Amino acid sequence: MIEKTLVVTNKLGIHARPAGMIVDITGQAKSDISIVFEGSKANAKSILNVMMLAIPAGSEVKFEIDGEDEESVASQLESLFNDHFNEEPC
Amino acid sequence: MTTSTKNPASNKAPVRTVLAGVPASPGFAMGRVFPVINRNISVVEETLPESRLADEEQLFLKAIHKTVKEVSQIKEISESRTGMKDSLIFATHLMILQDPVLINGILDKVRKEHKNARWAVHVVLGSYIDQFEKVDSPAMRDKAADLRDVYNRLMAAMEDSGPVLEDEAREDGVILVGHELLPSLLMSIKPGQVAALAMDTGGRTSHVAILARSLQIPLVSGLRNFAAMVKPGDTVIVDGSSGQVVINPNQDDVNEFHARQEVFERQRRELFTMRQLEPMTRDGKYITLHANIELPSESEKVTDFGATGIGLYRSEFLFLRKDAPTQDEQRDAYRYILETMFPCPVTIRTLDAGGDKLVNGITAVNESNPFMGWRSIRVCLDREDIFCTQLKALLLANTKGNLRLLLPMISGMTELRRARACIEKSRKELEAEGHKVAKVKMGVMIEVPAAVMIVDKLAKEVDFFSIGTNDLIQFTLAVDRTNELITDMFQPHHPAVLSMIYQTVQAAHREGIPVAVCGEMSADPMSVLLLVGLGVDELSMTPWSVMSTKKIIRSINFEDVRDSALTVLQMDDAESVNSYMHGKYAQTIRDLGISSFVGQVDNSKKIKN
Repeated sequence: MIEKTLVVTNKLGIHARPAGMIVDITGQAKSDISIVFEGSKANAKSILNVMMLAIPAGSEVKFEIDGEDEESVASQLESLFNDHFNEEPC
Repeated sequence: MTTSTKNPASNKAPVRTVLAGVPASPGFAMGRVFPVINRNISVVEETLPESRLADEEQLFLKAIHKTVKEVSQIKEISESRTGMKDSLIFATHLMILQDPVLINGILDKVRKEHKNARWAVHVVLGSYIDQFEKVDSPAMRDKAADLRDVYNRLMAAMEDSGPVLEDEAREDGVILVGHELLPSLLMSIKPGQVAALAMDTGGRTSHVAILARSLQIPLVSGLRNFAAMVKPGDTVIVDGSSGQVVINPNQDDVNEFHARQEVFERQRRELFTMRQLEPMTRDGKYITLHANIELPSESEKVTDFGATGIGLYRSEFLFLRKDAPTQDEQRDAYRYILETMFPCPVTIRTLDAGGDKLVNGITAVNESNPFMGWRSIRVCLDREDIFCTQLKALLLANTKGNLRLLLPMISGMTELRRARACIEKSRKELEAEGHKVAKVKMGVMIEVPAAVMIVDKLAKEVDFFSIGTNDLIQFTLAVDRTNELITDMFQPHHPAVLSMIYQTVQAAHREGIPVAVCGEMSADPMSVLLLVGLGVDELSMTPWSVMSTKKIIRSINFEDVRDSALTVLQMDDAESVNSYMHGKYAQTIRDLGISSFVGQVDNSKKIKN
């Protein structure tokens, strides 16, 4: 299992569009993936659960990725966060 | 069903019925009825025996499948209509419909707790809706509206609600019939799929009517209980020019339909020959004719109809997708219109949400009096994030300088100045980011009586006025235009309304700024005569009314209609005004051969007979 901690660097935080982009990656992955924010843990393949965390800009989130494609999922998520979800950075 | 056995010659013939409604969008069509049912959702909790669980699971999974198909279709069409890629809102809908936690949560309720599928959806999705509503962030509460939409679609899909519209697309154009047809439904119609619309509620000025005219689909509204009288597959003739609907027409009706359709086509061809001619009265007064559009793609056709600009682009249609479009999406849509129309001017009205135009997520509040509520510029000034995003998109799109920016619902100087401050702030922010921002003309809508009372002050601070007749009439006469009980009191020619318009024109001309009328009034022949007579400089209307209006303008003398306008200003009531105008001009207008395009004159003739 990989644990990956990433920082939300877009201005608007994880609203519908970034949540959709995360699920685009996690939904296709074979691994089990959880997203942890301020002690709440949610299934990262569920757009509803990801959105419900209402993660604001500047937050640290942790992904727990467990499965055969965990390496690739981690790196895809990392570049998504590094690109500020193709939005305005904060 | 159990009728006409008395007539042996046609003992299977269904009953022919003729109904009169409001002609809301011109044109003729004959076709089969396709009912749109507005369902009332009531959910009952059931505990099912083991043997029924598999069926119940299937019911839910099929509903998911059907809804995914439906949303994908709407997504595709909405993208081609609005010219915007990745419509985020529908993409989010699709992801929610495929959310594994949601789906398994619902299936568990069925499998483990033996609940019926509809109850399971109600409980599981309902709890998400509740949780999103509780989050202290407007963006998250907006998401609750999306979830409610998904909820409604799933519930409808689980009822045996007959075939979906999409499955009927193979057929020739159907006639869409409903108690109330919604703008979002019209937005999802494929070209050619629907030949005409008929509905029980509404009038000429409802949003659905405006949209139908811009899509060039005939519509008869205000038919009261029509939807309940027809069955799927019944044949009906819809005449959107006169407001007549015939259910199960006989051969005579069909012959007459073909004859009238022919007249319609001939008049349309004749009118097209007008489009290069100047809209000038016989004594040389030039009246600017502009077009109102709802969709950016319409701007391609506007000049074909002979309009020399866009007098009103209602930006709220970009927002009908239930999620505010981004600054880039808006900029692209606006730029498309501005560049297509260049060098002609394009008037874009800033977001006018509220009233009968509910934009989910922005105006989801239940108000007891929405037309006088939190709407339009009021929403924008309270939600500066949305407003400034739109203003920046507009300023960025205005690369060629042909934008006229129009602020709706202004009722006082403070509002105007606050809106102007937002424009200035947006401009400075863009310039600080290194963008070049062209000059932009700014005008206000005159649609609240208070604005008319302070019109001298407004005229000193803006570049143009645009009179929104629908709201001005509604507020001046205190007549709710959506209330079916008082439709006869919605009188565009009431002397009070005419006087409001006249005062506005006088004040504007003292400051040397032009006055446009962009409401539905500017397409009605008698109103055109009055508006021109009162001194209005520009008329803006649905694109295909431009040609018939041009024909009217070219047939009159300005001096004459000016005298008539000043005469009727002194009259006691709308009835006197109408009978004076009708007596003086009805024959002239009938002789112009534009009857298929202007229902009004034919109508008053009918009432007299």
